[in-house]
Amino acid sequence: MPGKTRPVEKIAKATAQCSAEVAAYGKCVMTDYNSVHKDMCAKEFLRLKNCYLVSDEQGKNECCTVH
Amino acid sequence: MIPLQTLRASLSRRCIAPITIRTYASQTPDKPMLEVFNRKVKHLQKDRAARNVEESRKTDYLKDEVARRLAERLLDIKRDLPHVLDLGANSCNIARALTSPDLDSSMPEGTITPPLSKKISKLTCVETSRALLHRDENEPFNQDLDIQRDIIPDLETLPYAPNSFDAVLSSLSIHWINDLPALLEQVNTILKPDAPFIAAMFGGDTLYELRGSLQLADMERRGGVSPHVSPLADVKDVGSLLTRAGFKMLTVDVEDIVVEFPDTFALMQDLQAMGEGNAIMNRDSAPLSRDVLLANEAIYRALHMEEGDRGIPATFRLIYMIGWKEGEGQPQPLKRGSGDVNLKDILGGGDFERP
Repeated sequence: MPGKTRPVEKIAKATAQCSAEVAAYGKCVMTDYNSVHKDMCAKEFLRLKNCYLVSDEQGKNECCTVH
Repeated sequence: MIPLQTLRASLSRRCIAPITIRTYASQTPDKPMLEVFNRKVKHLQKDRAARNVEESRKTDYLKDEVARRLAERLLDIKRDLPHVLDLGANSCNIARALTSPDLDSSMPEGTITPPLSKKISKLTCVETSRALLHRDENEPFNQDLDIQRDIIPDLETLPYAPNSFDAVLSSLSIHWINDLPALLEQVNTILKPDAPFIAAMFGGDTLYELRGSLQLADMERRGGVSPHVSPLADVKDVGSLLTRAGFKMLTVDVEDIVVEFPDTFALMQDLQAMGEGNAIMNRDSAPLSRDVLLANEAIYRALHMEEGDRGIPATFRLIYMIGWKEGEGQPQPLKRGSGDVNLKDILGGGDFERP
């Protein structure tokens, strides 16, 4: 559907910009995946989410300057 | 509203005998039935998926491939099958496979084998979702085979008369059945004597990567797990299920198809477009939160992506089963221990040299 991006596609696009943060968080969970508990990797996740939010915002700006 | 206290007081004043309420434990008359999957949700998922025709066709790669592999198993049956049922037909993927020529990959290259549909006079496709079943009714393959499309409210009760089909096929559908033993019994009933049931379904380890990484993401982000991937039957149960339903001469085999996706989001989108989303009872009705999705993407990559690969692997485990309805003149298995040839002499192997 042209002109209509699904939310999940937007998440995918924004996440693709954050490969370093994705790797860091994944590695953190991997180190002790037999005893994962809540907020075990909160710090790494926060970094990932911050990066995601920034690139999501950039994506929005790009969309609106083009049109 | 009368306060409870005064009501009780007035009641005991008026009635001489005290009111007693007795409750009885009662047993439901039918067999106890466990509902694993929410049929209504499944129906909606299939309908919605099929209404987006373009996306739905694009994600048919798995169903078409499995339908082809299932149809290949029909090549070994050297007889005509006048009336065949496709149980849970999706968009009639089996019909498409049956009408495609050159299915037989064992033949030398260049030989043209006729499509299997030549052996079949009529194919009845039965499905619960109208949108999905009728999606491809104007495609060219419909002209090569007499296809009847039946919509029934529920795949678990089949509206067909006993002894009416020369074969029952089913591809990627019966993994959503709640009461598989009961369905297999019905299939056995509607088959003619000495007729085969050939089916493929997703089994046990299908999507084990996604199942695991979502669990870890849920644990780390929310502190608990909820099921996001539906449970599936195990290979080792299928044989006994078929035996219980009265099938003879069973063949069960397993095959893994590993598909590469660019990321977990693409995988989940495709599953949704296939109408194969989670449909377990009491599932979280809210969609996965963005946080869990983000965490899942990272964990999936860390756990399953090979160094240097561009995408992530997703494993689909297919269980193929063949069972024959009992009939006269059917070959019987010999008694145990009656063999007089050692298989080792025929097949060889058994011992190997040490390097």
